[in-house]
Formats: sequence, C-alpha cells, structure tokens
Amino acid sequence: MSGLERNRALRLAPGCRLNTTGGPEDLLLIPEGALRLKGPARTIVELCDGERTLAEIVVELQRHYPSAQPARIETEALALLARLRDRGVLEYA
Amino acid sequence: MKYTPRALIAEITHRCPLHCVYCSNPLKMQRRADELSTGDWVSVFQQAGEMGVLQLHLTGGEPLSRSDLTELVHAGREAQLYLNLITSGVGLDERRLDELIGAGLDHIQLSFQDNEEAPANEFAGTRSHALKLRIAQMIRQRRIAFTVNMVVHRRNLDRLKEMIAFAEQTGAQRLEIANVQYYGWALRNRESLLPTRQQLEHSIEVVEAARERLNGKLRIDFVLPDYYAKYPKPCMNGWGHQQMLIDPAGHVLPCHAAMVIPGLDFPSARERPLRWIWEDSPVFNRFRDESWMPEPCRSCDRRTRDFGGCRCQAFLLAGDAAATDPVCTLAPTHTVIEEALQRVNGRAEREWVYRIDPS
Ligand code: SF4
Ligand code: SF4
Repeated sequence: MSGLERNRALRLAPGCRLNTTGGPEDLLLIPEGALRLKGPARTIVELCDGERTLAEIVVELQRHYPSAQPARIETEALALLARLRDRGVLEYA
Repeated sequence: MKYTPRALIAEITHRCPLHCVYCSNPLKMQRRADELSTGDWVSVFQQAGEMGVLQLHLTGGEPLSRSDLTELVHAGREAQLYLNLITSGVGLDERRLDELIGAGLDHIQLSFQDNEEAPANEFAGTRSHALKLRIAQMIRQRRIAFTVNMVVHRRNLDRLKEMIAFAEQTGAQRLEIANVQYYGWALRNRESLLPTRQQLEHSIEVVEAARERLNGKLRIDFVLPDYYAKYPKPCMNGWGHQQMLIDPAGHVLPCHAAMVIPGLDFPSARERPLRWIWEDSPVFNRFRDESWMPEPCRSCDRRTRDFGGCRCQAFLLAGDAAATDPVCTLAPTHTVIEEALQRVNGRAEREWVYRIDPS
C-alpha cells in the first residue's frame, strides 16, 4: 500500500474530475460513475495538482488541521492517496 | 422525491454503419427525420444537470452519425455533466477526436466485436475491424479516459484470452467484457449467441487469471449472462431509481428496452419537462416501488437488492411485465430459461439475422 513515492507529485488521471455542481455531496466523477468523498478527502484530492509532492501535501494538511495528530494525518492521507492511485484515479504527474 | 436520477443515457440516433447481430436497439428503430434537434438535446441536458444527473452517456446507434456531436458534448459539459461517448469508432478521425476532447469529452468507450478481423466483421455485418484498430491508436495518443468494450457470446467466448490480450494492446485503461443481453436484435439471435455452460465456466477462470496478471495496468469488468445466474440482475438499479434513457425521437424511458412493454405511454422530452417525467409520469412510477410485485418477490428478502429483476425481460419471456423475471430460479416461469439453456447446451449452429439501418 505505502508504495507511494513521497518526493513525487500526483494528479487526477484522465477522465477523473471533481464534481463542480456544488451539490450537498463531494463527488469524484470517474469513468465508471462517481466516488463519494468523505470528510477531508476532497481537500486532499484538490491538493494533488501535479505540482506539490506528497511530502508537501502532508505538511500542508497538517497545517490545515492543527488540532489533529500530525502522524495520524500522514497515515490517513497517504492511505487514501494509495487507494485512489491503485484504483487508477490518481497518477504520477 | 426519494429518487435522484444519476445517469442519462442519450440514444442520439439509431443510425449506425454497423449491423451487429446482438444490437440492443429495438427492432422498431426511430427514423432520422424524427430525431430530436440539437436545441432539443441541449435543453434536455440542461434540465438533467439541474435535476442532479451526473453522467451523460452519449450512445446510439452510432453517435458519430450525428454531425452536431461536438456541440452536444459541449452542451453537456456546460450543464455540468460527465461526458461519456459509447462508439464503434466508425466516423472518427484525428480532427474530430480533437474537437470532441476540446469540447469536454471525459471518456470514450470503444467497442470491438472480436480480436480477429474475420469474425469481428462477421458479427458486425461490415468490414470495420481494421479501421477500429487505427482509432484505438488515435485515442491512446491523447489524454482522455479510454475503455474498450467487448461483447462476448457463444461464437467468440472460446477466444476470450486472446481478446483480453488484444485489449491490452490497444492501450485502454479499462476493459468491459459484456455478455450479450437478450433484447431487441439479440433476442432474435439468442440460440446462436448464448454460450454453453462449459464456455461460461471457462471464461470466468480466464477473467480471474487476467485480472491477476494485469493488476494495476488494465481494469476488467465482466458482465455475466443472466440466463445462467440464480437470481436476476438489479436491472437499471431499479425502475426509475437512478437512470433514464431518451431515445432518438425524445421518448423518455426507464430502460433501453422498455418500449417493448405494451400499454405504457412514454412521455416525450419535446412535450414535457424532464422533472415531471421523472417524478410524476405514470411510466416512471409504474414499477418504482414494491406495490406491483407478485409472489414470490413480494415476500422475498432479495427484493430490495434485485427489485424482482428486469421488467422487459419478464414481458419478453413470460408475457407479463409485472411477473417475476423468469431468470430467477424461484420464478414460476423459470422453465422458459431452462428450456433455452437445454437447447443451447446440446445443438448445432443457426443462421444470423442482421440488424438493419433505419431510414
Ligand atoms: S449495430 Fe452494433 S455498433 Fe451499431 S448500435 Fe447496434 S450494437 Fe452498436
Ligand atoms: S423472487 Fe423476486 S425478489 Fe426474490 S430473488 Fe427472485 S426475482 Fe429477486
């Protein structure tokens, strides 16, 4: 799972994008349908802009959520990113 | 309203240069002269976006047969929809592909009839295979999600391994292998198309091995033929629950085959707002809840999962759209399936009936 390379950047794969209708749910549209993004997932995906490295994303999240445990943020964010990458939703830039 | 439509399947034309023997289009196709105009479709897409639809599937017939396809893609994106094009590729060239992507196309599903040229052309009733290969290459060179669709049946299922290897060569990210579903033209050709039990079991093993080998490279979705299943498929995820289909002439249907059911009056997107059709039309409410269900569905625990199966199949095979889907092993009419399977699992080949092109 943690096969992610922290000094590289991720971006959304072709055909995957965040829903822009501003409805009540945060959705990631993909070829097969839609994934519901829970909690901070949307923020995490948005940070994958193809520029920031994963290490930078983690630091940014830790700054963004100062009341949460930094180690936990790191584990959870990387786990989500690994899952999305395995699913072909995110790719290395 | 308890149900939000999530996907709109827009059959923008029934015209198609191919003549596939398993085409799911209705036997009675809509003519070109009756097709919705560009403006009609644009209005439909806007309404769909406002109602919460997320995905727009442009299909046909062959959607490329419409010269306004790029405009339609653009209008769909303006309406905040995710744009999926389901195509045979015939009619695509570099320029048109770039225009479509520029207009906001998100995903292309390119269909192949086989990995080998001769059978592919036989099933499609046209020589299109070589052209499709060039088109796959064009798609792969661009940044767009790319799925290869392959329809499998008795006459090609033994080559599944080669077909998967072929899909790998096309450079697609995803492969959808779908067994033919028996509506429309496919039902006419059912006895020639239904795989044998042995073929089916073998194909499941082939797909499992391929999934392991291609993990992280090519994702494989595999749709089994429901004739061999114990319980029916949750058709459209429930009648009027998540999806709607609009045919070339603007009829709004809960599923692509619903036209076969007699006594239903399909509202037109030309005459009625889409929201009214979805929420209030008799057709969309006809099988929406559970009140129509007969036994054994009515007291079956699976009813919230499969909704009693497909209404169109119930009509086509049992003569009653409000019957339990005959595919279900608990259905009183299940013998019709057993009989078909018996015939298929021990007899010789038959002639095809090719799909015709509407005028
Ligand atoms: S004839 Fe073949 S390509 Fe044309 S609409 Fe039917 S299945 Fe699709
Ligand atoms: S009896 Fe009806 S609800 Fe139960 S499995 Fe069969 S089709 Fe589904």
